[in-house]
Amino acid sequence: MSRFALAVSRGIGRVTETALGPYQTAVVRIGFAGTWLLFLLREFPHRQEMYGPDAPWSLDMARQLVAGNHAFTVLTWSGSQVWFGTVYVFALLSSALLLVGWRTRTMSVLFMIGVLSLQNRSVFVGDGGDNVIHLMAIYLVFTRCGQVWSLDERRARRARAARARGEFPAPDRAGPVLWCAVGLALAVVTGAGFLGVGWVVLFWVLWAVHGLWWYVGRRAPHSQPRILLDVVANAVHNAALFVIMAEACLIYSTAGWYKIQGSRWQDGTAVYYPLHLDYFTPWPALSDLMSSYGVIVLLVTYGTVAVQVAFPFTLLNRRAKNVLLAAMMTEHAVIAVVLGLPFFSLAMIAADAVFLPTSFLRRVGAEAGRVRGRFVRGGLARLALPGPRKEAPPTAEETAEHTPAGSRA
Amino acid sequence: MDTYDEKPEDRPGDSDAPVSRLPAGVARDERENPQADDVAPAPGPAAAAPGEAGKAADAAGESGPASTGAGGDTGAPGPAAAAPGEAGKAVDAAGESGPVSGGAGGDTGAPGPDGARPDETGEVARLMERGGPVPEAMDPHGPPPAPVADPGGVIPVAPRRGMAALSLRYQIAAALALAVVAVAACVHVGMVFLHVAPSNTLTKKHGRAIDDWIYPEFEQNWKLFAPNPLQQNIDVQVRAEVLTADGGVRTTGWYDLSALDGAAIHGNPLPSHSQQNELRRAWDFYLGAHDTANRPSGLRGALSEDYLRRLVVMRLGREHALGRGDSFARVQVRSSTTNVPPPRWSDEKVSRTPVYRELPWWSVPESERSGVNA
Repeated sequence: MSRFALAVSRGIGRVTETALGPYQTAVVRIGFAGTWLLFLLREFPHRQEMYGPDAPWSLDMARQLVAGNHAFTVLTWSGSQVWFGTVYVFALLSSALLLVGWRTRTMSVLFMIGVLSLQNRSVFVGDGGDNVIHLMAIYLVFTRCGQVWSLDERRARRARAARARGEFPAPDRAGPVLWCAVGLALAVVTGAGFLGVGWVVLFWVLWAVHGLWWYVGRRAPHSQPRILLDVVANAVHNAALFVIMAEACLIYSTAGWYKIQGSRWQDGTAVYYPLHLDYFTPWPALSDLMSSYGVIVLLVTYGTVAVQVAFPFTLLNRRAKNVLLAAMMTEHAVIAVVLGLPFFSLAMIAADAVFLPTSFLRRVGAEAGRVRGRFVRGGLARLALPGPRKEAPPTAEETAEHTPAGSRA
Repeated sequence: MDTYDEKPEDRPGDSDAPVSRLPAGVARDERENPQADDVAPAPGPAAAAPGEAGKAADAAGESGPASTGAGGDTGAPGPAAAAPGEAGKAVDAAGESGPVSGGAGGDTGAPGPDGARPDETGEVARLMERGGPVPEAMDPHGPPPAPVADPGGVIPVAPRRGMAALSLRYQIAAALALAVVAVAACVHVGMVFLHVAPSNTLTKKHGRAIDDWIYPEFEQNWKLFAPNPLQQNIDVQVRAEVLTADGGVRTTGWYDLSALDGAAIHGNPLPSHSQQNELRRAWDFYLGAHDTANRPSGLRGALSEDYLRRLVVMRLGREHALGRGDSFARVQVRSSTTNVPPPRWSDEKVSRTPVYRELPWWSVPESERSGVNA
């Protein structure tokens, strides 16, 4: 009994004092922000047809549907081209800034607004990839996903280094300005009555917490309220991370368990069929080649079901999990090309990435830092992402801005 | 709702679904041979950054929670040097089985420089596979837009954090918050589980509560090519009755819009949703909101008809179905369903003759007579 109590208290200590999985949440952030950014860029020529005011799914139809289900979208607020263009650019910018981790907490909220607005405006153009981006955009709001590989992290590191040298880092101006601007926009939107009560409350609470965090951190950085905020933020982060992982498991479980019931998955020909659907054969010759051997199709069919069903259970064993994870990521990479579903696959890979081992992610980060150091010199290097940081006391090297950060980690 | 499922309509509560942002048949399930190890975090050359715990553990083959255990136990806050590396080697030598640390170190120790830290009890922690507490978490920088705190002070290397650092009053507040967060997360996961699960005892009884939680933002459907993949190519075709400039009427031939989509997808590494999903899902939407006699059901029925009509009118315009001065009077949509031929190693026989489903002629409203331009 006392051992149980000890375990519980250790667990509580653990989830309140640290935001777990910093590299995993960062890679999920980068993955989804990047996928959505690339998607928006790719669809830029088709944006009017898919989401514009005069799209076949007209604004009026979208309004009728949204009135019934109360889905969140800012695009129904106005039918003007200016508003549509603004929202599209806003979605592009917020995903780019979330990707690089600039004001990550705020950007995660704006990113979610962009994703939900576009997707809920036209629910009938999306697919499974949009669906998973939609969910993760919401979950990311609650994670501290900018702890590594972000401009926020670099800014904090530099400020720390400056203090260690006995300098006073320049006061942060962009943060308060952004906070005020967002508050103003929220006040206008609230006053205009565009938002439902639930969303109004959520956004104001998030806004207030950001302000409170800033204020307490500035006035009393080591006080009890500050620690309490940190504890709550960690708990929320860890809970959201748990939800993200559970969601990924549910995706695979659902996909796997429903397949088991299908006769084609049982007779081992299921994989053959999608390769012969006109909507999913960008490379017919390749599809034919891949589906021309019965035994291979059988193995892949059975393997797919087995891996999808097994994945959640392999989390209990690190090595088995990594093998399956690699298999699933490979599968998605193949699907991206063969079935012509690049953004769906990218989104799924981003979701899978939450299970990657820290050591692997750090190595990737270090490698990225080295590559960047080799190819991007000079001014651009200052804009690029920093690598993971170590917690050694800041040294001269630590403060040298031009060192590719990744190579140090 | 998913065309690429054989039994599209058996999703629990689907009929109540206020909206359908459905992941229509997106494929995801084909599996390459598990060439896992290529992509797997295969142990790389233990070259870079000597003594780095994570790497050392990597070199050890990434096996167990071992890597998380290495390094942090001692709580030595010094720079990452030999110790963690040695720990990694020890793991290696030990044959990489099991958790190394066993929590012996306790979490009071300052985290090691690499963030490696004893893998404590928590499964969550285990699953998260972190190399350890990340120093970053310590810094006052986090959610807020303006996190840099205390310009004058120096952040201690290991400030007290977590519940233990709080006085009783604050501990109570933290415990309450923790409880709320934990319950919310568990309830949410439970709700999502019930939402994606087949209809069962619980969902039959509490379907309403589950839907209220899930819709509209957490709706999801992951029956990807399940229970069976679609085994037919469904082509949406359309023709129009056109009022010509000289006052006559002519009827166009059938335009196979799906075939045009297919042609746009061929050789295209980045197919657009407007080519791959738009028409396909509009047709699904129509089917889902109508019965077999094409009678619409409710708002969705009406919306799906308007949507499909606007879409085909837009597409006909792009195919130059209208001459100068012409306008659309009516359009007719039909689907042509062709079985995918069975694999050549199979002795199944299926008909290759297309089966048509023809919808009635729809008159085109005034505003769309000269086309829909998006």
